[in-house]
Amino acid sequence: MSSPHGFFVVNVPPDRLPVLIGQNGEVKRRIEALLGVRIELKSDQTVAEVRLSRPVSEGGDPVALLKGRDVLTAIATGFSPERALRLAKENEVLSLIDLSEFLGRNPNNLARVKARIIGTSGRTRRIIEETTSTYISVYSDKVAIIGAPEDVKAADEAVRMLVRGSPHSAVYRFLDNYARRRKLSPKFY
Amino acid sequence: MSESSTPETQSQPRELRWGIVNIYSSFNNILIHVTDLTGSETVARASGGMFVESGRLEPTPYAAMRAAGYVMEIARQKGINAVHIKVRAPGGVKSKTPGPGTQAAIRSIARSGVMIGRIEDVTPIPHDSVRKKGGRRGRRV
Repeated sequence: MSSPHGFFVVNVPPDRLPVLIGQNGEVKRRIEALLGVRIELKSDQTVAEVRLSRPVSEGGDPVALLKGRDVLTAIATGFSPERALRLAKENEVLSLIDLSEFLGRNPNNLARVKARIIGTSGRTRRIIEETTSTYISVYSDKVAIIGAPEDVKAADEAVRMLVRGSPHSAVYRFLDNYARRRKLSPKFY
Repeated sequence: MSESSTPETQSQPRELRWGIVNIYSSFNNILIHVTDLTGSETVARASGGMFVESGRLEPTPYAAMRAAGYVMEIARQKGINAVHIKVRAPGGVKSKTPGPGTQAAIRSIARSGVMIGRIEDVTPIPHDSVRKKGGRRGRRV
């Protein structure tokens, strides 16, 4: 039956396809079971289609469709399936920053900026992740952030600051301020 | 939009009156706008800011839920019993990820009892675009 519901197409780079599928399709099956979606991979293509396994009129959850897309996008931008599945929970959003929007075509420049975001053996990335309790992945020319909306906003701003050339100390200060404010104000999400 | 592909076997075999729910969801607010199928006639609309007092609460799932509930109530009174959903983020040179309220809004629409047809993402994606705002030296705070 052709589903009357929409589907989403997600680009999955060839080297992320095995991660999405998993051993004997285990990861793919797990995502499908957890969210109630169907993932279709076109062989010899690098796209995946997500659709609901049951239409909404038969009890399918329309939100799962959006979540499914986000989980797939997260895996396609370098997250491990375990980390990507955080998006299946309520109130977790995915933010994608395309570094090529900020930088020219020079590959050295891209490598430099990615290095700034990641830091020596992942130090900077870890600090951003820990102070904002988010997950961050730097993959190809993209930075993906998973977390609660407010936290993602802060982590996003921190990454943008680094891309624009703010010194790391300034970014850490910004993050410290955010962490302090977050502790004071009651959680409203 | 072809309605022939939708399942005819509904519990009540009444005539379906389709509408479109346009959800614009940013990190600062959420707008929910129900139109007819052409998209040019408004049936009902609401924003997150109509249901919460402070600005920072406007994009929250709670505001989105209230806004969607309010809008669907009016739409139902006006006789709409099936909707397509179009979700969009600011798009263009701005954020291409929809804000935090989207999922709550869709869930609220699903709970309101109307039939849901297609769910689409209509975020405008530039093929090539103008310069991002903020200038050469970036946003200074």
